[in-house]
Amino acid sequence: MKIPFSSLPATPDSAFPFRSELKRPIVALLLERGEVRVIVYAVVDSGADVCVFPASVANDLGVSPSNQRASAFSGTGDAAQTAWFEEIQVTILPMEAPNIEPNQEPLTFPLYAGFCETMEHIGMGLLGQDGLFSRFAVSFHHAHNYFEIL
Amino acid sequence: MQPIDLTAVLKDAPRGEWLALSFARDRIVAHAPNLTDAKQAAYKLGELNPIMMKVPPPHALVL
Repeated sequence: MKIPFSSLPATPDSAFPFRSELKRPIVALLLERGEVRVIVYAVVDSGADVCVFPASVANDLGVSPSNQRASAFSGTGDAAQTAWFEEIQVTILPMEAPNIEPNQEPLTFPLYAGFCETMEHIGMGLLGQDGLFSRFAVSFHHAHNYFEIL
Repeated sequence: MQPIDLTAVLKDAPRGEWLALSFARDRIVAHAPNLTDAKQAAYKLGELNPIMMKVPPPHALVL
């Protein structure tokens, strides 16, 4: 599946005074657990060890933090963060866009997904090594504004 | 190939709230502090496949 990068708004700062947008490899994902479904965005992130989503997504899917499957992780900061994990079903949805082959097949797979409060401010998930890169070949073509998941 | 441009649709979106984006990504159908409330509001307005997201925070870089 070939997917265009997406441009998101960004605020200039002293390090990047001319920045007004960020280009990210994001995908639209259909997440399902039983009869409940929600579509969210997630960044394809080769630096993430696992796949994690904001806690609000867990609440919507009916995943409880009390499921006892918790794991600690960290970002750039020293403080440990906690994610709780649950089996869900994920479908990567094709994005219609100019120069993208129409009618690409969605990619559906089971995912042991993490959910955490500290992702809440980002408002999208991360698709990392264990879950995405462990299943698919992913190639980035940043200069040409697309990435591919095969 | 051009990137999918979400800057225009997110330009005036309320920061910190969950947004229900139309599946065509051309408008914000609903928004609310709570994801489920925003999603249900989008359903009621006829958007059956809303994409749920938040506006990136001002400190936009994610490492």
